Amino acid sequence: MSGKIKILYLDDEPENLIGFKASLRLNYQILTAVNVPQAIICLNDHPEIKVVFCDQRMPGKTGVDFFEEIRVSHPLPVRILLTAYTDVESIIDAINKGNIFRFVKKPWIEADIIWAVDEANKFYLANSMLSVKNDELQKAYNELNKFAYSVSHDIRGPLSGILGAINLAREIDDIEEMKEMLFLMEKSVKKLDTYVLSMHDYYSLQRGELKITEIDFNKVTDELKTIFIVNAKINNVAFNVNVKQDEIFRSDYAPLRLILNNLLSNAFKYQDRNSNNKSVEVVVEVHNSVATIYVKDTGIGILGSHVSEIFNLFYRSNSLEVGSGFGLYNVKGALLKLNGEIEVQSILHQGTTFKVTIPSI
Amino acid sequence: MDIEFSFIVIDDSELDCFVTQKFLELSDKNLVIKTFQNAQHALEVIHENPNRNSLVPTIILLDLQMPFMSGFKFVEEFEKLSPEIKENYMIIILTILSPVSSPGDIYRIFNYGAVKSIVEKPLTKEKLLSLLNHVRLNPLT
Repeated sequence: MSGKIKILYLDDEPENLIGFKASLRLNYQILTAVNVPQAIICLNDHPEIKVVFCDQRMPGKTGVDFFEEIRVSHPLPVRILLTAYTDVESIIDAINKGNIFRFVKKPWIEADIIWAVDEANKFYLANSMLSVKNDELQKAYNELNKFAYSVSHDIRGPLSGILGAINLAREIDDIEEMKEMLFLMEKSVKKLDTYVLSMHDYYSLQRGELKITEIDFNKVTDELKTIFIVNAKINNVAFNVNVKQDEIFRSDYAPLRLILNNLLSNAFKYQDRNSNNKSVEVVVEVHNSVATIYVKDTGIGILGSHVSEIFNLFYRSNSLEVGSGFGLYNVKGALLKLNGEIEVQSILHQGTTFKVTIPSI
Repeated sequence: MDIEFSFIVIDDSELDCFVTQKFLELSDKNLVIKTFQNAQHALEVIHENPNRNSLVPTIILLDLQMPFMSGFKFVEEFEKLSPEIKENYMIIILTILSPVSSPGDIYRIFNYGAVKSIVEKPLTKEKLLSLLNHVRLNPLT
């Protein structure tokens, strides 16, 4: 039933309703009402109604009055007036007050109705597409605003720091101080570089299409191991990877890698520097066409009140380490693309576990 | 010469803290300078350890855009401290200015009594000297 277009027909004469329903019930899902209150209840109960037919001549309210009312209260359904009675006044009213989409003359023939519903449906779809596009635009604008903010802080911030350092360099004679400053300048430049790279990730995620391939998680993690093993050695972090995959898994490699890369880089980044027992653990299990990935660290953890915000663009819960506020937002975007989900469990000063589930495509 | 001021630098960027500190040291070897990358920590230190021992006024050089606790939030919280603590401090905003950060926000922060002036990053020797002159001409009451 759900595939059929839902129509409401309001007419004070029950025989008209029965006739309408009898000839068109195979094409559409038809709801009927014999008076205005009934019709309103019906519209409230079935928000998915796309087309409303109404007889012009009814006791009490006319069809135009009814349309004028629901035009405000239920603006989405497309309004079509059925009438045998065609004086110019009522046509003008119907158009100006009722803002109707079509007239169908009584007695109607089936082809007229079908044609009118087809056109009305197209109109309805175009309107709803428009509102979807509007929402998307609104979202894009909001992100652009955040982006503008971030440009000033995350790009101009490090730049002004480096400029300040150059100004200072003119006043410094001590080579050791100079070296210390160069080290800090290098960090700022690297931060800028990371920022630009993740911005690239962000845009490729927004624009790219899915490229489905067979994924061998052993290969994926091996590749990540070569990247993170250096970090693990330098910072004395135990790094374990455990993959259990006995079945074929299909997904898009690029977003998948982005997810793992970001989660791992966070796991290493937010370690407790003073701890003697630092570890990062990755567990991948593929079972019944679903990949479950755990990335577990013994780091500084996330404050409970911040957990709900960490996936927001440019959100940073911590000032200890360099972060752009892009990472987890990109992870969320990538998961949306792969139809996956993410959960976080974190205990402050003990560590964080991210659990990611991704269905095979 | 006796110590004229003590400084607290609050900036999430390690490099900016370093640069500001060095500029201050170059201008006067005898300054007492503390740097914080987290505004919350600075606030705690100010709260627990007001300048009871030294009668030297303290100038807080404050960045605005910081994660965790922004400069705006810091000023808000600072204003809640007791008058005995506050009277020893003055806040100077040290930040990047851009058309993006809405000017309204910046002006609003001057409604707080403790905020005395604003300096645009990057810091230079000239800016620091004129800032110190400004502070000497407008001493804490």
